Amino acid sequence: MKLFKPKSKASITISLLLAVIILSGCWDIRDINHRVLPVVVGISTTDDDLYKVFLKIPEPVEEMTKVKIVSGTGETISKAVDAISRNMESSVDLLHVKVIMIERKTAEEGVKDIIAGFMRSREVSSKALVTICDQDLNEFFSILSTKELHGTTMLDFFEKNAGWNAEIALTRVWEVYRSIHSYTRDVAIPLIAAGKTTTYEQIGSAVIKNGKMVEQISNDETLLFNAFKGESAHGQIEVLNHASVMIIGNNMHHHSELTEKQPFLQSRIKLKVVILETRGKTTSATIKKELSTLLTGRFAEMMAKLEESEADILGLGQFYRNKITRKELKNWRSEYYPNLKMDMQFEIDIQNEGYLRTT
Amino acid sequence: MEQLVQEIKSKLENNEDFLLQRDYLADTAIILLGFNTLVDFVKTRAVLQKHAESHLLQNRPPEDLWNAIGELIEGNVNKAISSIYEGKLIIHLADTDRSIIMEPVSTMLDRSIETPANENVIQGALNAFTEGIDANIGIVRKLVNSEELIMASYSTGQNRKKKLSLLYLEGQADTELLKNLESHIEKNIHQDISDLQGLAKMLGFPSWSAISKFNTTELPHHAVQYLKKGRVILFIDRLPFALILPSLLWDMFAIENDRNFPLPIMIAIRSIRIIGILITLITPGLYVALVSVNPEVLQIQLALSVAQSREGVPYPALVEIIFMLVILELILEASVRLPKSIGPTITMVGGIILGQAVVEAKLVSNLLIIILAATTIANSTIAGFQNAVSIRLFKYVIVILASIYGLLGLVSGLVIIGAYLAGLDTYGKSYLYINVKGNESNGR
Repeated sequence: MKLFKPKSKASITISLLLAVIILSGCWDIRDINHRVLPVVVGISTTDDDLYKVFLKIPEPVEEMTKVKIVSGTGETISKAVDAISRNMESSVDLLHVKVIMIERKTAEEGVKDIIAGFMRSREVSSKALVTICDQDLNEFFSILSTKELHGTTMLDFFEKNAGWNAEIALTRVWEVYRSIHSYTRDVAIPLIAAGKTTTYEQIGSAVIKNGKMVEQISNDETLLFNAFKGESAHGQIEVLNHASVMIIGNNMHHHSELTEKQPFLQSRIKLKVVILETRGKTTSATIKKELSTLLTGRFAEMMAKLEESEADILGLGQFYRNKITRKELKNWRSEYYPNLKMDMQFEIDIQNEGYLRTT
Repeated sequence: MEQLVQEIKSKLENNEDFLLQRDYLADTAIILLGFNTLVDFVKTRAVLQKHAESHLLQNRPPEDLWNAIGELIEGNVNKAISSIYEGKLIIHLADTDRSIIMEPVSTMLDRSIETPANENVIQGALNAFTEGIDANIGIVRKLVNSEELIMASYSTGQNRKKKLSLLYLEGQADTELLKNLESHIEKNIHQDISDLQGLAKMLGFPSWSAISKFNTTELPHHAVQYLKKGRVILFIDRLPFALILPSLLWDMFAIENDRNFPLPIMIAIRSIRIIGILITLITPGLYVALVSVNPEVLQIQLALSVAQSREGVPYPALVEIIFMLVILELILEASVRLPKSIGPTITMVGGIILGQAVVEAKLVSNLLIIILAATTIANSTIAGFQNAVSIRLFKYVIVILASIYGLLGLVSGLVIIGAYLAGLDTYGKSYLYINVKGNESNGR
C-alpha cells in the first residue's frame, strides 16, 4: 500500500480548510428568526401520569411582541416539547427559558426528576428561575392568554432591575438541584397565581425539601428569608403600627455552637432603614424598638414552622458543617435541626429620618 | 558636424522635443543638446551668458569656464545620451571632442510643497512630501538639522534608473536592520522598484504578507519623529511619501501628532483607535455568531427585537452580511476611483438610498445596517491607510469562522489574527514590538 504523501503546504492547507467546513456541522444552524424562543415553561402532570408542558412564547408581530401559549403532552418533558415543536412552523429552542413554572400538585409529588432532567440536558440554562403555580396550570395559562401581554412580562416580574421585589424569593434551577442533594440546605420557591387586577400575584413561598413541597411561608416571611440570604431587602417597605420604613441594606453575623447534639446559633442582623411614613406621634426610638420586636417575633414564628417541617431553607446547617461529622450530617434535618436554639437580635439603624424631628 | 553630435542626433531625433541649438559662449562655438520638455532653454542660456560674462571680465581662460559650468567629458556618447534622458544639458564645444554635462534650469514639473492629500492633521505641521525625492530629503534635513542624519542614495533598475534614498540617524538606527537593508539593496540593485511590491521584492520581503512591511507617511513631521525613534526612512523618486521601516503594530494606534495634545487626551484618542480596530474586527462576526449560532447569549429582549428585525429576511446571516459587506467595499472602492466632484453623490446613493431600500425590500435586517455603519466608521479610525485595508481584510476571516463556530469561532479568529501578527517580522524585529521604556519621545 502506498502512503499518501502531501505534495505541498498548499494541499495540506486546503484539506485542513475543507475539514473545518465538513466537520463543523454548520448546516444545522438555524437563524434566530427561525427559532421560537419560549420564555416560560409550565409543567404539570395529567391524571394518567403524563407531563403536560406549556410554553409561553413571545412572538414578534408588527412593531410589537405578542404572547402565544402552546401546550403538549408526553411521557417526558422533552417528548412533550418535541410534540410542540413538531406542530409549529419554527423549531422550539429552550435556550432562552428564564422561568420554569411547576404546578403545585406536581411539586407536592416531587420535582426531583424534572430538575435533574433540566440539569442533565443543559438545554435550559441552569440559571432559570423555578416557581410554583398555586393554580391549575391550564387555568393559569388560559387566564394569561386572555390578557394583552407584553412579550417578556413573566420575566420582568422576577427581573431585579424591573419588577422584582424583596418579598419574592429568587431560586434558580441549580439551587433546587443542590438542595435535592444537600444535607443541610433547602430552598424556598415563589408561589404564583394569576392576579385579579395585576397579571400575577405572589401568594407566598413554597418550601421545598428533597425536591418536594412541604410547607408554605407568607410574603413577610419570604422577606426575612431574603434578608437572611443577603439578597438584601433593598427597597422594601415594612409596615408597623406607627410607621413604614424602607430597608436599604443589611448585614449579619452568626456565631454557632454545638454542645451534646444541641446546636445553638446566635445571629445578629443589622438593618439599615429609612423612614417613609409615620402615623401619629412617634419617635425613632419607638420605631426601632417596635421594628425589632416585630421582626424577632416574625422570625421565631417562621422558624417554628420550618423546624416542624424539618426544612432548612435558611441553610443554617451550613454553620455546623465543620462541627458535625459527615456521617452524622445526613441526620441534620431530622435530629439536630428541630432542636436548634436561636438567639436572634435585630439591630436597627435609622439612616434617614426625613422631617420627623422638626415636625 | 562633429561625430559625437551626429551620433546623439541619430539616436534621439525621433523625439520631437529633442533640441539641438548652436550658440556662442565666451567666443567659442557651442552646440546645446537637450530635451526642451525637461530643460528651460531660455533661462539656461541666460544663466550661461551671465557666467561667461563674469569670466570674461576677470580675464580668465575659457578652460576655467568649462570646468565651472559642469562636468567635462571626452567622447563617451552613451554617457551623454543617458545624461540627456536624466534632464541634463549637453554643451558640446564645436570642433573638439569635448562636451560639458550641465545642470540646467529645468522646467517646472514638480508640485510645490503642499498640504497632505491623504492624511489629515488637526493640530500640527501641514506640509507634506511631494514627488521630487530631492525636495523630500531637503525637507527632512531641514527638520532634523543635525549632523547625525545620514543619507545614502542608490540608483536602481536595469534600463530606467530610479533613485532610492535611505535616511537614518547615526547612533539611533538599528545597525542590524541597516546592514540587512543595505546588503539587500546592493544585491538586488538591478530590480525594478517603481512600486512598493517591487521594493518589497528587492528587500526580500514575502509577497503574500497581508500587512505591509512599510509604514507610509506623507507628513515630514511624522517621518522625522520615526527617525528619532531609530527607524529608517526610504524614499523612492516620484513617490510622494516616506516609507518607514520597520513597521510595527503600535503604528496603527499611535500618530506622532497625538503628542501635540495633552497627555490624557492623547491616551483617550489612542484608546478610541484601539476600540475602533476591535469593533471593526468583531462586530460583523459577532452579528453572525449571535444571530445564527449562539442566540442564547443575547438578552431575551434583545433576542426578540433581533428576531423581529430579521423577520422575512430570506438569506442566512452569513450570506446577508457578506452581501452587504461586498456592497460596502464596492462603495469604498468606487469613491476612491471617482473624481472628487462626484464622490459625495455616490456616498449618498450608496449609503442612504441603498441602505434604506435594502431594508425596505427585506433583503437584510435593520440591525445589520447599524452594524455595517459601525464597522465602516470604526475602520476609519485606524492610523494609516495601508493598515486600515489590512484590517478590512481580516474581518472576513472572523465572519466566516463565526458563521461556522459561533462565538468560539469569533474568539479563535482573533487568536488566529493575533498569531499571524505575532509571526510577522522585519529582519528579525517582531511586528508586535513595543517600546516599553517610555522614553521614546525625547529621541534617546
